[in-house]
Amino acid sequence: MEGDFIPEQALEKIEQVDAADLVVGVLADLDQETVAAVHEALRTLQGDLRIVVLSSDGNSVRSQTDSASSATGPRLSVVSWPSIAPDASGAPMQSISAAYQSIFAAGEKLGARAGCIIASNLEGATPQWVRQLMQPVLEGEFDLVAPHYARRKFEGLLNSSILCPLIRSLYGKRIQNPLGPDLGFSRALFGARGSDRNANRIHPLASLAPVAICDNLRVCQVHVGPRLLPPTDWTNISSLLVQVLGPVFLAMERNAACWQKTRGSVPVPGFGEPLAASPETATVDVDRLLNSFQLGIRDLQEIWGLVLPPATLLELRKLSRATKEQFQMPDELWARIVYDFALAHRLRTINREHLLRSMTPLYLGWAASYAKEVEAAQGAGVERRLERLSTAYEVSKPYLLSRWRWPDRFNP
Amino acid sequence: MKEQVKQALDQSTTRFLTALTRLLPGLVALVVALLISVVLAWIVAIAMRRLLVSLKFDQRLVQWGFPSPAEGSLIKSPSVLLSQFAAALVIMTGLLIGVSAFDAELTSLLVRSVFSYVPNILGAVLVLLVGNIIARFLARSILIGSVNLNFQYGRLLSVGVKWLVIVLAVAMALEHLRIASGIVELAFGILFGGIVLALALAVAFNSKELVSKSLERDATKTTSETLEDPLRHL
Repeated sequence: MEGDFIPEQALEKIEQVDAADLVVGVLADLDQETVAAVHEALRTLQGDLRIVVLSSDGNSVRSQTDSASSATGPRLSVVSWPSIAPDASGAPMQSISAAYQSIFAAGEKLGARAGCIIASNLEGATPQWVRQLMQPVLEGEFDLVAPHYARRKFEGLLNSSILCPLIRSLYGKRIQNPLGPDLGFSRALFGARGSDRNANRIHPLASLAPVAICDNLRVCQVHVGPRLLPPTDWTNISSLLVQVLGPVFLAMERNAACWQKTRGSVPVPGFGEPLAASPETATVDVDRLLNSFQLGIRDLQEIWGLVLPPATLLELRKLSRATKEQFQMPDELWARIVYDFALAHRLRTINREHLLRSMTPLYLGWAASYAKEVEAAQGAGVERRLERLSTAYEVSKPYLLSRWRWPDRFNP
Repeated sequence: MKEQVKQALDQSTTRFLTALTRLLPGLVALVVALLISVVLAWIVAIAMRRLLVSLKFDQRLVQWGFPSPAEGSLIKSPSVLLSQFAAALVIMTGLLIGVSAFDAELTSLLVRSVFSYVPNILGAVLVLLVGNIIARFLARSILIGSVNLNFQYGRLLSVGVKWLVIVLAVAMALEHLRIASGIVELAFGILFGGIVLALALAVAFNSKELVSKSLERDATKTTSETLEDPLRHL
């Protein structure tokens, strides 16, 4: 079964390796210096570990690592892995889904007790954070290690506005980046995924944190540096929403029995020193975001009317009449919108792709409101603003529960 | 004289009664066929409605792009409508069977021609249905896509494409029904050409606006605008 996900050209090499304690998948397009730093970090791990590095750049680094591997301490084997470069501006989720599946499958095939995936380019990657991603798992304390990036206020907006607060309110764990993409995981976690026959239908990134929490596995996060992100492709935001939110809503549907029992949220243990990202100096073009929102209000109300209750539509209409200075989307309204779209996704009220694409102007409306609010804020101020949003999601959870359980009930 | 009148009356009564006796079995057969078809139609309607409800047909139609009853559609429930249509088809069949029981040559011909026309009707209905689904799906895709690309005339474009596909489907259905095919072809050509022209004009106006906006932006570009947008979504 696991062999199905391993690329054909890599299967033979994996079989030659036979077994491993730790599997490290390098999906990011790292430069030689960073690759060397990652390998250095792996060598500093304690114990007689057999480490297999699956890297698309495997051939170029093989000689270097083989010669450097010593008789004592961790033994590194680098396996050349087909390049499945995550294209963050195009179809990031789909392109790396297969890569994640293949690395999980390789981990299972090699009988590894832990795994780690490095999928993003990080500023100033140091051996410390690479080691920290794996240390909690290797020491047997945790099953999922999520990254806590040093973020700038306008970075990872989809995560800040939907993914992080949604996962927190649903499953009750405060994870800054529940979808990674840089992760450490234990054998128990990919075992839990493997035992679930339907888990492979959902994107691995979207299902990892929910599966870990619902299976009572232990989750923590480690502080890592800022990520290097490609510029926004404005023509492709709706595709991004489809690729990211689709699997998250699917996982939500699958784990409904679990999250319906959860109330409130608790922080997860954190490791490492918080790193500060360089302050944001550029300004956001709020007018462009507002224009998209206004156009959505003008043309998409007919579609939103199938998804959102009349009270929400009324609030949105009022919002569309506000001037740029007055424009502010209330957090509770945004949380209810996300919940209503999740419910419509479950009920297939309209075609799922149409549904998620039609959410784009609303998301840009929220982004405009957020950009205005945090324009002058930095660091702690931004964190406080995002904490307010997460609290709004938690406060509105009874609304989701009610609509999820009784979708046909009258909802004014 | 009196005898002749009586004879004539007797003969006409006999002729009438003979004709009536010949017609009566046909009439009874018609009534029986109608009664049976009504009962059958009732059963078919109930079975079909239950089947469609269990298949969540109404919700699926909304997913395919049809307006839901909540959107103010004239049709209360597509499942009910379809089951009523099936019932009407059964009653119609019963009526035709009953009429053919008269055994008149004319009615047989009528029945034969009606039955031979049924596949055309079904084909036309299918073409209309599929055309409608495609039209609405495309219209919704175009509307959402154009709003996300900030096109001001997205609604016009989506309505245009919807009617383009519907007109094409109607023309194909009429062609299938063999109704005034010459006129239909001509009318379709004119209508299709008209819609394409309207769409071309709409796109041209849209492009004009886009080009002018772009030129305007280039001309008034300030240093702050040339800075990279700091927004990162993923």
